[in-house]
Amino acid sequence: MSQHLSSQQILECLIGAGDPEVQRHARECAACRAEMGSIAQPLAWFRISVHHAGERGMRNAFATAPVLLLTPASLDRAWYSNIIAATREAIHPPKLPPLEVTSKPVPVKDIWGFYGGQKKQAGLSSIAIHVTVVILLFAIGANKTIQKVVKQQIDLIAPDIAPYKPTVKKDQMHGGGGGGDRSPTPPSQGKLPKLSNKQFVPPVAVIRNPDPKLVMEPTLIIQPDANIPKINMDALGDPLAKSRQASNGTGYGGGIGTGHGGGVGPGSGAGYGPGSGGNMGGGAYKIGGGVSPPTLLFKVEPEYSEEARKAKFQGTVVLFVVVDENGKPRDLKVIRPLGLGLDQKAIEAVEKWKFAPGKKDGKPVAVQATIEVNFRLL
Amino acid sequence: MERALSSEVVPVSVGSGGPLDDFEGLFEQYRPRIFRFILASLRNKESAENLTQDCFVRAYRARDRLRGASSAGTWLMQIAANLVRSHEANGRLKFWRRTLRADVDLSDAADWIPDRHMSPEQMAAAKQQVEKIWNVAGRLSGQQRTVFLLRFAEDMDLLEIAAITGMKEGTVKTHLFRALKSVRTALEEQGK
Repeated sequence: MSQHLSSQQILECLIGAGDPEVQRHARECAACRAEMGSIAQPLAWFRISVHHAGERGMRNAFATAPVLLLTPASLDRAWYSNIIAATREAIHPPKLPPLEVTSKPVPVKDIWGFYGGQKKQAGLSSIAIHVTVVILLFAIGANKTIQKVVKQQIDLIAPDIAPYKPTVKKDQMHGGGGGGDRSPTPPSQGKLPKLSNKQFVPPVAVIRNPDPKLVMEPTLIIQPDANIPKINMDALGDPLAKSRQASNGTGYGGGIGTGHGGGVGPGSGAGYGPGSGGNMGGGAYKIGGGVSPPTLLFKVEPEYSEEARKAKFQGTVVLFVVVDENGKPRDLKVIRPLGLGLDQKAIEAVEKWKFAPGKKDGKPVAVQATIEVNFRLL
Repeated sequence: MERALSSEVVPVSVGSGGPLDDFEGLFEQYRPRIFRFILASLRNKESAENLTQDCFVRAYRARDRLRGASSAGTWLMQIAANLVRSHEANGRLKFWRRTLRADVDLSDAADWIPDRHMSPEQMAAAKQQVEKIWNVAGRLSGQQRTVFLLRFAEDMDLLEIAAITGMKEGTVKTHLFRALKSVRTALEEQGK
């Protein structure tokens, strides 16, 4: 065959399926061999490359036959066979051969307690010891001398709890009252009338109206639990007065005394004592306990005195003040002075201030207050 | 390591007669071939290792069924080919195959030296050609690739391949012919 092989024939040769004649030609004809080689050579290289890759890949591979790690075939059952076997065993437990006991119990030493074989004696001696100890304790306790000693040793100390007691601030009452009907004689001695929150009729020592159309008991506006001076007299009057002659006193506005306003005493208002605005004890109400503080409405800045300005003096003057029912400050006193004329300046300024009066039970009353006046040089 | 492992396991006793008496020897003998074939088919080292082990496990479990007619190598390769096919058909693994493929073995495959006496240019050309064949083999259909690899990588003859794949000889020839045609086309493309 002089004709060269077709490309199909060449491929058949490569596959190894060509006719014997074609294969012979492929071996003999140089041109055909060359053409075959152009594919066969890369394929040979490919073969080498595949083998190479296989070798490389195997290098780190798990090199034991997996079957050597398998369980024997007798254990190699399907998953459901186990379940079936277990169920069958639960329903019809297979009869097992009788258990053969191959071991025998061996007597061992008692491990509890060291009685040395005399358990009974040990128990009795234990009871005896315990009883002895208990009797001994009772005997000691029953001894009188011991009881005495024990008694003497007991020292009860009453702790001094005074420092821990809360100091109760005494509720000092303030306020007062006064009255009189301008009689020439001083008020007469007598007991105070009934204490009340309200006053309809002032107390009088000399009854000017002997036949009133509506009789009211005279009262003083003093809190009912106040500690008033008691005097054993029937007639009303000022308990501290010296005159025994019945008189309402030189004051005015009803009541007994030298003050004014329907109370008893030298003050003003319906209370008793030297203060004002009811209640007793002197002075005005204090803030708190139902007494609302006065509020500042109008304020005048205090001037600096010339001396203090020159001395570049600064500080605070604390003033005591009574704000009366009209909201006007009065009875100004210096509680903490500063000097250099600043006290006077502070008083001058505060005198011009105007307050809304403090109130008790909704009514304006005179209230004590302290005012701090700051003097600062800017 | 290997000793320790094999000493722990239950001694394997295989029925008398047949080539499976010495399974470990069989394993040693055929493992490279099986591994190589699966690696070239799947191009993934881990899968190849797994499937190789699988292949031998299956062979061991089914060792009673081995007919005397076919040789152990053919039989093992048959199992391997089936494993590769089912692995390829496993849809769940498709995504991972796509991501893991190709880059694994091409580097290994290109690492070989065809001939020490070749010039660097020739060597480079040869490597290029081999790479082309690898690529073509990767693109072939499952049957074509199996047949192609068995013929040209494992040097088996057509009858053997027919026995392994369960195809008729003519069918094997057709598959081979088509595979070779695409290889030639690829090589000619490169030559131009």
